[in-house]
Amino acid sequence: MLNTDVFVNIGINHYLGLSAILFVLGLMGVLLRRNAIVILMSIELMLNAVNLTFVAFSRYTHRIDGQIIVFFVMTIAAAEAAVGLALMVSIYKRFKEVNIRFFEHLKG
Amino acid sequence: MISDALLFWFLAFVTVGSGLAVVLFTNPIYSALSLVMTMVGVSALFVTLGAYFIAGVQLIVYAGAVMVLFVMVLMLFDLKQELMAFSRGQITGALKVISAGLFLGLIFGIITKRSNLSFVDKIPSPADINIDNSKELGTVLFARHIFGFEALGVLLLVIAVGTVALARSKGGTHAKH
Amino acid sequence: MGKDLFEVVVNCVKLLAIFLFMVQAVPILVWLERRGSAFIQNRFGPNRVGPLGLMQLLADALKFLKKEDFAPEAAVRPLFYAAPVFALIPATLAYCAIPFSIPLSVEAFELFGQSWGPYIFKMQGYEMNVGIVFILGVSSLAAYTIMMAGWGSGSKFSLMGALRASAQIVSYELALGLSIVGVIMLYGTFNLTDMVMAQQGPLQFSAFGKVIQLGWLPNWGIFYQPLGFILFFAAAFAESNRLPFDLAEGEAELVAGFHVEYGGFKMLMFFIGEYGHMLIASGLVATFFLGGYGIPIWTVADVRAWLGTMFESPQTVDLMTMLIHLVSYLTKLAIFLWIFIQVRWTLPRFRYDQLMELGWKTMLPWALGNTIVTALVIYLVS
Repeated sequence: MLNTDVFVNIGINHYLGLSAILFVLGLMGVLLRRNAIVILMSIELMLNAVNLTFVAFSRYTHRIDGQIIVFFVMTIAAAEAAVGLALMVSIYKRFKEVNIRFFEHLKG
Repeated sequence: MISDALLFWFLAFVTVGSGLAVVLFTNPIYSALSLVMTMVGVSALFVTLGAYFIAGVQLIVYAGAVMVLFVMVLMLFDLKQELMAFSRGQITGALKVISAGLFLGLIFGIITKRSNLSFVDKIPSPADINIDNSKELGTVLFARHIFGFEALGVLLLVIAVGTVALARSKGGTHAKH
Repeated sequence: MGKDLFEVVVNCVKLLAIFLFMVQAVPILVWLERRGSAFIQNRFGPNRVGPLGLMQLLADALKFLKKEDFAPEAAVRPLFYAAPVFALIPATLAYCAIPFSIPLSVEAFELFGQSWGPYIFKMQGYEMNVGIVFILGVSSLAAYTIMMAGWGSGSKFSLMGALRASAQIVSYELALGLSIVGVIMLYGTFNLTDMVMAQQGPLQFSAFGKVIQLGWLPNWGIFYQPLGFILFFAAAFAESNRLPFDLAEGEAELVAGFHVEYGGFKMLMFFIGEYGHMLIASGLVATFFLGGYGIPIWTVADVRAWLGTMFESPQTVDLMTMLIHLVSYLTKLAIFLWIFIQVRWTLPRFRYDQLMELGWKTMLPWALGNTIVTALVIYLVS
């Protein structure tokens, strides 16, 4: 008889594990992808994973402050997306490309 | 209990699958649409955690506004298939994947081994999951976290001005000639 | 979902019935729109097939079904085919959250040799404590359908239409959300049923410790929030892409906007989505500002007492009360749907810069002002 307790009793560890997987997926996107917009999207994915952790902790510790932090994270993510996309549009108009390799000569 | 578990595993499958699709699709538009799917899934997970208001805000802000911007910009660029979607170099790529995997293993180890997180309940009490907590949320937001809230307001103002300045500067979409 | 099999089955049937109601309302609305526009423009409209041309809808549906299913050469197939299906989802999900009528209670009865306990069935798809936030969130997903259709068609006209439409939806969502903040503060809840309950009876409010009552006016939100009503209604027009805000399909410059390349059944699904948004907007306006399913001046208890003098069994009284409120709701819905149609055939279309200016420079500041004034008044009066 297989112990199905892990699959049936959903606790905080499940949510934490899921958000860890999502976070690492976002991390891999940032590391592996070369399209700057996809990198921005991967950062959004990581922020989402963190939000999930906050809400899970807020639920299981019965403190509502975790959900407040999620508000703040969402606002900052929206702001980051707005500025990031404005930059991307400027870069695209200049280089006709949003691949990060194409504007490497910004350095120095 | 069993239906809750089924719902969780379904949502976990959806979010992880679409999150994987964000990274693996070479067409950025498909990546963006997969990310929308992930966000809808995360919003549903918030509902399973009893955070109804946050779930709605997640839908409005992330899925309804931020991702619409992303998709709109991508459609304007019309990148279609990318020739070099991923980083060059097999070894460095493998190293990156391996290090990310090690990081994941580390987190998992911490979560499962350190099970004496004494300040949390292991199993949720089903009593308080259906309570509408938006009133409490507002009270706490405007009482205990009022400074953070005001600081965010200032930040948003700065961001709005900065974005307009970016768009109007040389090379921006609304550049002065 | 429910505590036993019977309740689960009834709830599933209810969801299906609401979806079918939404879908079935579309051909009638199309007929009403065509006959109504003909009436407004002094024409006849469709009057050949069946009585009053009512069978025209069936003929149209049949024509749509029989059309060849094709995709253009340059289309991105997965998005092109997925878009019409996704057009239905936000509209359906949002529509299911609007309450139709008072809950119907069913007493315990015997069936299949088993006793089934007393039930209370809510006359809405599902009740949520954060109904408004949910509806706003779900209906904001409609922008993706438009963009998927516009980009997936691989045509520049549809792409332009999609960009216009999604920019418009995102801009007006702000005004839409802010215009109902006043309502939310007034009733102190996100729950739509609670809102309807707060609008029962004659106009009555307490100010500076005194209770003021006006017996000849219903206690509706429109009398407290007239500016909010106007802003919400205008923004709802923009959200459902109807004239005078239908820049997305400005046929003079864009042929038909984001659905140029669609025909046959896929086109029909976009139609259902669009009319579904009209239904949602009408239902929400009725719920926020006109007392929802409530009857003017009378409360639910009044109706129940009046019916109690006519019928004997409490079960019948309950059922009749529910039906009367349902009819009241449908009447309000029909009035607003007619206003939607009347406006479409009366007003000319905006120019795109005028549209953006109206959204950002006029409606947003006024909605913000309305919010601040409402908050101040509530603070001072209470």
